[in-house]
Amino acid sequence: MSASIAPECNDIKDKYDTCFLKWYSEKYLRGNTTSNDCDELFSKYKTCLNRVLKEKGIDSMLEDARKGNHENDTEHLRRS
Amino acid sequence: MKFFENVFTYDYSFPAVSLAYFLRYPNPYSRHVLTTDVIDRYVDPKTKRLHTIRLHLKKSKVPAGILKLLPKGMGGSDNSGQSYILETTVVDPKEGWMESESRNMEWTGILSVVEKQVYQRQPIEGALESLEGLALDEKRGEQTTVKTTVTFRSRFGQGKLLGRKKVDPIGDHNGEAEEDAPKRGFFSSLSTAGIQRTIELIGVKRTRDAVLKSKQGMNVVLERLRSGGIVGVLEGMRQDREAAFGPEGPWKRVWARGHAHLEDDD
Repeated sequence: MSASIAPECNDIKDKYDTCFLKWYSEKYLRGNTTSNDCDELFSKYKTCLNRVLKEKGIDSMLEDARKGNHENDTEHLRRS
Repeated sequence: MKFFENVFTYDYSFPAVSLAYFLRYPNPYSRHVLTTDVIDRYVDPKTKRLHTIRLHLKKSKVPAGILKLLPKGMGGSDNSGQSYILETTVVDPKEGWMESESRNMEWTGILSVVEKQVYQRQPIEGALESLEGLALDEKRGEQTTVKTTVTFRSRFGQGKLLGRKKVDPIGDHNGEAEEDAPKRGFFSSLSTAGIQRTIELIGVKRTRDAVLKSKQGMNVVLERLRSGGIVGVLEGMRQDREAAFGPEGPWKRVWARGHAHLEDDD
């Protein structure tokens, strides 16, 4: 699995990634789009990751980039 | 502004390609990708589309051709050799398409590179007829095309980057001889538009290579998926990771910067 930018989050990221791949291939792609098997793992991973992003000052850069993306996102979703 | 466009067809079904997309790092062609993190991910309750935002940290140097255009200290000062890429993906499994957008997060004033990809399920024509007489071969039933469009835009010399005030578009009748262009040294011999064009072209040149590499990487992951399933991909990854970074992973390199000499493999 790909590594996290935050070494201390690698274990939880690995668990989350594994869960996601299973859910994505066995459920989501087969039409079961409602389940949320990996929510708990994702929230743990995010807590770990966000702390590091903040420490490294990447969080504000991310926020700016995502804001800058907004117009493109709505364009993304426009297609029918 | 410059564009790069490419259309390619994978001989794999849409579900396989979309899975490979999320699984594509590490692969033997992605040694420049150091880390990947999921920033946000959710299924839209109305459309049932899966939205994903990821952050990649990649090794990348400012090309020498661009570096020499920059004032001293700029570009060179932050010579970490790493850059952050933000990737947004939307998947619609029912309609059989996926769209992704990747952009650089730093130095966007010098060169903003936005890569958009549209993956689309393509049932092979005549596949239905062939089912009647021939044995059903699942992998031949579907292909997936991907259209890649990369946009390069340099705003070099337009005030933002150099901390100068913005050019007033109404008062600017000078064409290429913009007064906002740096005046000292050899800059005086190059117009702002000329520098921008040069920077954009260097970006285009690099992208041709990168797009090819990324296809090769996807094909490796898809082949592993076909022959060994997800387990096969994960095993391949583990080997790629060790080959690229050693058994301890890439973060040693990420965090060692400044303290240790980093090798360069390009």
